[in-house]
Amino acid sequence: MDDEEKLVFIRCFDAPQELLFRCMTEKEHLTHFWGPKGMTTPIDSIVVDLRPGGTFETTMVSEPDGSRYTMTAAFSEVRPPEHLAWIDANTGVVTTATFTSLGPFRTEIEIRQTNVPEFMRSADARAGFVTSFDRFSDYLRIAGSGSEKPT
Amino acid sequence: MPTTVAVTDDELDATFSALADRTRRGILARLSEGDATVNELAAPYELTLPAVSKHLKVLEKSGLITRTRNAQFRPCHLEVDRLVVASEWIEKNRQLWSDRFDELEVHLRDLQQRSAGFAGERADG
Repeated sequence: MDDEEKLVFIRCFDAPQELLFRCMTEKEHLTHFWGPKGMTTPIDSIVVDLRPGGTFETTMVSEPDGSRYTMTAAFSEVRPPEHLAWIDANTGVVTTATFTSLGPFRTEIEIRQTNVPEFMRSADARAGFVTSFDRFSDYLRIAGSGSEKPT
Repeated sequence: MPTTVAVTDDELDATFSALADRTRRGILARLSEGDATVNELAAPYELTLPAVSKHLKVLEKSGLITRTRNAQFRPCHLEVDRLVVASEWIEKNRQLWSDRFDELEVHLRDLQQRSAGFAGERADG
């Protein structure tokens, strides 16, 4: 269960279900929030072909340095206004968005990521890596300038 | 040794596939303590040397380890930067959705204010 929780993001919004579904599927809305703080998502970089197999593409542009990050995906499920899923063409990660109406102006969005490489899903593996990282820092100190990043 | 690593999505895929195996993660943990030869790496596992070599090839291809070409026993070396990149991906992804939802909340407030404005105009006119 814990393993799953790590790749689920839930947030409740004070807005109707249909509006939230539209926010997640219309460029005019996506451009306002898809890029998090410090990033913009120009409207002309967004492609939303809202049907199973259709393209979902966004390019986030970093405000400080102009570097660009393009996500190319294909929709795998399109069921307005409660369900949406897309498959990232680069990583194979499947993102499922579920919109649950909790009232006329209250909606929960759940983002669930699946088909994530096994090591990311496993709590053991994650814990293992945290431990490993502690050892890595020791290792880095021992290795000296070998592969140490300037901080 | 390179001090900065620019990693493409393809390389990241290779990294994740390499990390998806328990034995390979064990090998990496061992290498985090220092360079080791194939024989040393095989010791904790009930695996044949060819089987371990196969794992090492996957790790080498993914960029997670490098092997000395000229030394007799070709010790394996962990490329820490590459592993950190994979781990950071998870945390960044989590942060991305959190930030994105924050921005969505702001956007919804803007929309509501605007529609309240329109309603006001209509009532006025």
